[in-house]
Amino acid sequence: MRKDIRIAGAGGQGVILASVILAKAYGINEHYYVSQTQSYGPEARGGACKAEVVVSDSYIDYMKVESADLFIAFNQFGYEKYKEETRSDCIILVNSSLVKTDPVNEQIYKLPATEIAETQFEPFTVNIIMLGGLTKLLPKLHFKSTRESIKSNFSNSMAQINLEAFDQGYHYIESHYFNNLHKNCS
Amino acid sequence: MLKQKVIEIHGEKVIQGNEACSEAAIHVGCKFFAGYPITPSTEIIEYMSESLYKNEGMFIQMEDEISAMCAILGARWGGKKSMTATSGPGFTLMQEALGYGIVTETPTVVVNVQRGGPATGQPTFSSQQDVYQAKYGSHGDYEIICITPSSVQEMFDFTIKAFNLSEKYRTPVILLTDEIIGHMRERIIIPDCIEIEEKEYVKRCEEPFGRDDQHIPHAGNFFEGRNILVEGQLHDEKGRRIGHIAQKSGEFIRALTGKIRDNHKDLTDITYKYLEDADIAIIAFGSVVRSAERTVKMAREYGIKAGLIKVNIIWPFPEDEIYRLAGHIKTVIVPEMNMGKYCLEIERCLKKSKVISVPKLGGNIHKPMELFEIIKKEKNLQ
Repeated sequence: MRKDIRIAGAGGQGVILASVILAKAYGINEHYYVSQTQSYGPEARGGACKAEVVVSDSYIDYMKVESADLFIAFNQFGYEKYKEETRSDCIILVNSSLVKTDPVNEQIYKLPATEIAETQFEPFTVNIIMLGGLTKLLPKLHFKSTRESIKSNFSNSMAQINLEAFDQGYHYIESHYFNNLHKNCS
Repeated sequence: MLKQKVIEIHGEKVIQGNEACSEAAIHVGCKFFAGYPITPSTEIIEYMSESLYKNEGMFIQMEDEISAMCAILGARWGGKKSMTATSGPGFTLMQEALGYGIVTETPTVVVNVQRGGPATGQPTFSSQQDVYQAKYGSHGDYEIICITPSSVQEMFDFTIKAFNLSEKYRTPVILLTDEIIGHMRERIIIPDCIEIEEKEYVKRCEEPFGRDDQHIPHAGNFFEGRNILVEGQLHDEKGRRIGHIAQKSGEFIRALTGKIRDNHKDLTDITYKYLEDADIAIIAFGSVVRSAERTVKMAREYGIKAGLIKVNIIWPFPEDEIYRLAGHIKTVIVPEMNMGKYCLEIERCLKKSKVISVPKLGGNIHKPMELFEIIKKEKNLQ
């Protein structure tokens, strides 16, 4: 099994942090081989930002993503730039607060992460809400593993709000797209 | 002599290449780090500032890379293993003091996490453009040891190797990596035990720069009870200046380069795959190895007899081993993230083979498909 995951967005949206937490969840908690790479400009905020995670049950040779199995877009620019570099059966998750998608493509999962973050949490939790939705869509990744990975990445006070945001993203995708297929959340 | 050291906190980790390098440095006993932060090597400096504080070492953020390089040389003569980390622009500034480290035969490790150049260039993008600078950057005749990791695990393992070789040969060692490897996170295994080179120096030695049969000097540190002059001019076995004596100066340079040239077998580190029946091969180093490896697998699945040669120590150039492994192979492809530099050495070595340089500019790594297309073209399979 090899899964190529690509996350695209803008600098400052937490694209890279989301990919790091994901890589640790797979690598440490699920014991898979992982390679996480990134590409960004010299700006601290703004500008295009892309992060890639390759997960495999055997040694990973090429560590970049050519055609994504899972593509996550945090903003419109990222979506437009990479939507073609995907496999035909690619699962696409977008931050629907900021991304307008092609209406004919039914494979796209929409999660209004910016809206949820701003109304229920803090603006900086956008990436973790997206990570929640992504965890629901990813194969061989348990809800608990990503949660553990979030806990170990933040101090106690920050972990709490991020865990709540993560749960919210996870359950949003679950309730909107998987009504009858409940994943084990214990 | 290699001595075993047990690592208490070992096991699996998902960490960045830069962090793996720093962690290895701490385990191998590095107690002094001087540097100036620069993308994409800053994580090493951040990690070392915290770790050395916890491990009774010393960290100094210097005013620039010139002083950083000078400081790590001084620290080693003071008796502590030392290291610095930088990227292209900083590596350029370090060249003068690097030469000083070579002539004074000071063991230390310089990490260059390459980014696109020249000058400020591409701060956040990768390259392998400093391949020649690592060998020829400073003036005068000298040889250097330069190691190129291609994974996060190798960042850990090769940092230990860099320290050990620097101690063994008493010379600065360059760990030449790039942005992709430095910033990449992978699952690695921290071993429960590592081997550390520990030399037993002759105390109160009359000839601190006297050499053993491998041309390696047995100088120890300062403050060990001997009078010792350490300076940049060529010197005899007692440390006295000999720059004005042609014959002795020539002998010194022959010994300085000889300790690396004559030990090239010990300094050859190559791994290879699928070479037994190969009639086409890719020779690569650093991050590009990962693309090359995938390409070779793709070619094998396609029925093409392709092989891979991965060079771990690029300088001194492993001429004999490359010739032994690839001398009979018809076509050799050399992908590099520069204009095509290392391929010139390969060409010089493999005169009977067709050597194809595949340069890649702009900061991205070669895609396996690009290399596969070249293989197919060479095999007339298009």
